[in-house]
Amino acid sequence: MSEIEYRVTDFDCPTCASNVERALSKTDGVDRVEVHYTTGRVEIEYDDGVVETDALERTITKQGYTPRVR
Amino acid sequence: MNAKRYVRAHRQPIVVAASGLLLSVGWTVGTLHDVALLSAGLMILAAAVGGYDVAKKAFYTLRSGTVGINTLVTLAAVGAIAIGEYWEAAAVVFLFSLGNYLEARTMAKTRSALEELLELAPDTAIVRRDGETVEVPAREVEPGETVVIKPGAKVPVDGEVTDGESAIDQSPVTGESAPVRKSAGDEVYAGTINQAGALEVVATDTGRDTTLERIIRRVEEAQEAQAPTETIIERFARYYTPAIVVLAVGTYAITGNAVTSLTLLVIGCPGALVIGPPVSIVSAIGSAARAGVLLKGGEHLETAGKIDCVAFDKTGTLTKGEPAVASVDGFGVADDDVLRAAAIAEKKSEHHLADAILAAARAGDASARETATDGGVVTDRAGESAGPEPDEPAIPDPEAVDVVAGKGVVAQYDGRTIAVGNRALLADRGLEVPSEIAAHAREREAAGETAVYVALESEVVGVVSIRDELRPAASDAVATLEAAGVRTVMLTGDNDRTARSVAEAVGIEDYRAELLPEEKRDAIESLRAEGHVVAMVGDGINDAPSLAAADVGVAMGAAGTDAAIETADMALLADDLERVPEAVGLSKATRRNVSENVAIAVATVGLLLAGVVAGAVHMAAGMLLHIASVLLVILNGMRLLRY
Repeated sequence: MSEIEYRVTDFDCPTCASNVERALSKTDGVDRVEVHYTTGRVEIEYDDGVVETDALERTITKQGYTPRVR
Repeated sequence: MNAKRYVRAHRQPIVVAASGLLLSVGWTVGTLHDVALLSAGLMILAAAVGGYDVAKKAFYTLRSGTVGINTLVTLAAVGAIAIGEYWEAAAVVFLFSLGNYLEARTMAKTRSALEELLELAPDTAIVRRDGETVEVPAREVEPGETVVIKPGAKVPVDGEVTDGESAIDQSPVTGESAPVRKSAGDEVYAGTINQAGALEVVATDTGRDTTLERIIRRVEEAQEAQAPTETIIERFARYYTPAIVVLAVGTYAITGNAVTSLTLLVIGCPGALVIGPPVSIVSAIGSAARAGVLLKGGEHLETAGKIDCVAFDKTGTLTKGEPAVASVDGFGVADDDVLRAAAIAEKKSEHHLADAILAAARAGDASARETATDGGVVTDRAGESAGPEPDEPAIPDPEAVDVVAGKGVVAQYDGRTIAVGNRALLADRGLEVPSEIAAHAREREAAGETAVYVALESEVVGVVSIRDELRPAASDAVATLEAAGVRTVMLTGDNDRTARSVAEAVGIEDYRAELLPEEKRDAIESLRAEGHVVAMVGDGINDAPSLAAADVGVAMGAAGTDAAIETADMALLADDLERVPEAVGLSKATRRNVSENVAIAVATVGLLLAGVVAGAVHMAAGMLLHIASVLLVILNGMRLLRY
């Protein structure tokens, strides 16, 4: 189990952040995810044998936001 | 290549500008030249350019099974184009993307208060390894390694000074403005700035474990924790948006008025309402963190905004907490023997006064101190006690010790009983204080010192007077609170006379003395029972029960102690009492700010709904109001950043 933290500074509204959270939690290999609108912090616990960080980043990008590794 | 990267990095403003440009050209063409078809084409293009990203987000949101503002705006724009309202479609999309851009920029500014903190820690450290000094990434320094910090450089790790002397600007971590002198044995924190001489430091915590990192994590957690107001609002928002969609569909089905129903979609996201409170709270927490005050979260901030009574612990809070023996007076026994007996009894004690007594006994200068306080009476004993090892004259271990909480210690040594403590201890043991000694003790206590009685067997033989200087900011902090209508109280385990002297010096009328730790907690509870919202300021360790009993527990000097940072509702990183009224003021301002934002948002929603029902507000106007309200609450919340 690995953990990664991103920072997303371009969330438009609290709902947008929870959408990203929902999308990430539906990704295979993601165990736990927390997305915070107020700080723009995205915390993901994932199984590195199942999913790569590239895929996690793509999921965020697809929702229309820019993740940065902290 | 560079142009491409530029476009990618600035996609949002470029899209907004392009959409706005197309909109204005389309409008000009339409009104001035009356070329309806070209104008319509330009408007649709403006909507498409501005709306592409919006529609994309809407699509992804829909796919994850929710309806967000992007969905509503997309529906509204498509609907408007379908019924031939090109201008409305373009204007709604343009205003929405402009609003989003401004909102993201201002929010990023709010969020960056934290990033500024993150950037304080330097990336590299100079470390001594195998006799050589090498520069390595700060994260890679291991605890126990020696780090060299040059003058003017930032401290890369938490550590203890082993060599050198300097002044360190600790403001980034603790918020205290004056540089702090550091020499061997002192602690330094990552992110602080070495202002004068070179220092050698043994790293204690590095990388993610430094105080600065812990503070940042704590601040983030605080900003992420939702305040009760936020939770209520989010629950409301969850129903509001779908309800508006249903209302829009219903309106169209009943009246057939497409514009009204599309306008309802535009105002369907209660933007200002969901954004307002978090922005206020995040700004406040960020602003407090920069001043060296850690707040546990929005909930605590809301409670702190209601504080109308602040209780201070005396020792270590109103005073510096560095007690030193001011004088030793023996009655029928030599001063040095009194001090020595007290030191033996207190040797195993962890009470803060014990350290002062032991330090004085080890320095062996009871008489010298007395000279200083009594003025010029030089006795010959001073020279006698300065042995060959002046720093450690051996103080023997007592044979048995009994610590009486809140009263003192009773020890056995060399077949005799030594009792050291306050009057209550003597009373417990049935010892009487000769009037001469009692008068002396009263005199010292009236001067704000703490008189500790020393009894050998059944006889009181002397008094050790201990002085703890007041913090310079104490009386200002109390005055500021009182001026703001906040009641102040002092709680102390110390005797009544000492307590009164200290309370008078700082300007507190209501003081409660001779309290045991659990009685301090009871005092807090009785203040709460009177209807006060009570903050208790203490050191976070000895005062843990009363801090926990208060509505808001405020721990002082928390920079070095993890426990205080973790448990207190509010932690002052420096020992800076002025932060107490500031933090109370900030909390009150935040509460006001949240209410203002809720009021702005509710007024906007009401105004919009009424306007739509009355037919006075159309799509673009609705969007303009919506965006204006969102920006207004963000800007209002951001005022707290500069509190």
